[in-house]
Amino acid sequence: MSTETKQKKMITDVFVEGARKGWNLGVNNIIPNVLMAFVIIHVLNITGLLALLGKLFAPIMAVFGLPGEAATVLMGSWLSMGGGVGVAVSLFNEGLLNGTHLAILAPAIYLMGSQIQYAGRLLGTADVNSRHYGILFAISILNALIAMLIMRIFV
Amino acid sequence: MQEERKVGLVSYLALIFAIIFFSGLFAKAAGWLGVFDFTVLNGSFGKILGEGGKAFEFRGSGGSGAKDGFLFALTLVPTVMFALGVVNVVEYLGALEAARQLLTPLLRPILGIPGSAGLALIAALQSTDAGAGMTKLLYENGEIDDNERSVFAAFQFSAGGTITNFFSSGAALFTLANADGSLAVTTPMLIPLAVMFIMKVFGANVMRFYLKATSKR
Repeated sequence: MSTETKQKKMITDVFVEGARKGWNLGVNNIIPNVLMAFVIIHVLNITGLLALLGKLFAPIMAVFGLPGEAATVLMGSWLSMGGGVGVAVSLFNEGLLNGTHLAILAPAIYLMGSQIQYAGRLLGTADVNSRHYGILFAISILNALIAMLIMRIFV
Repeated sequence: MQEERKVGLVSYLALIFAIIFFSGLFAKAAGWLGVFDFTVLNGSFGKILGEGGKAFEFRGSGGSGAKDGFLFALTLVPTVMFALGVVNVVEYLGALEAARQLLTPLLRPILGIPGSAGLALIAALQSTDAGAGMTKLLYENGEIDDNERSVFAAFQFSAGGTITNFFSSGAALFTLANADGSLAVTTPMLIPLAVMFIMKVFGANVMRFYLKATSKR
């Protein structure tokens, strides 16, 4: 796009364009993801599995200042960032996570987020040496864990 | 493909504005300064008077499952619309080009990749797919070698499409309210964003170190 055509746009139009992207994301991404996460957490809650997972992961998650249930947020994130956010807000809704926990989790959700998808979309597309895939996954998870420790200092 | 745009004063002002706007610097400022803060302008939902004179948001309380999830997700949508509207404006004004200008001379020292990868790096912060495509081109044009591509991939792979992804879902986390109506997350949005960026650079350097260590054998 050339500079001339860009300058013709009104700032308000540019804002509306972005807000429309937000609406589409909300309808196509956030609402379905959060709805699914609420149902999954509801199922885990009714069956007692959430409490079990919470107990199982409590010692590990305690290192990061988080309750054991927060492990489900990280698992969800690894599959999809939106899913991870969905799980986080539904646990907040259940009173299992508070604002401080959400702040600690926020960077980690993205740093280790959507890895399966991105292996194809990024590493595959850019033809990254396939011998390095394993370490790339490991680095992302390491990034997420360290980020939680850093966030713990800030909150 | 994307061409390099001129970076003027407006671009730098847009970048500074974006940083202040999402930093929470003026979140508690009295009076008109509040217009420089995201959460202030994002506002709040009105309350509905319910049983026993208690005030509720339209979502109510005590819901569960898919229906509660739907209404809850609906409360997140205006935040995302507002955040992406603002991000679109600052991008349009050239904030990312200003960031590229500032970052380009730093790429060699902090990531060990050439400054010519600056445009791809900025694109990768916006879209994982754009970053992937441009990285492939950099390799094909001989700008980066196989190892540099892996280091660059380590930067992009963790928190891919950082800005777009964070503002399109993460922003919602930062406007959640406690039962008493106060903001649940008191940390400004800019902090996790900065932490992500630092960790991306860190991860790329782990890759750099790993490649160096394994090539010696």
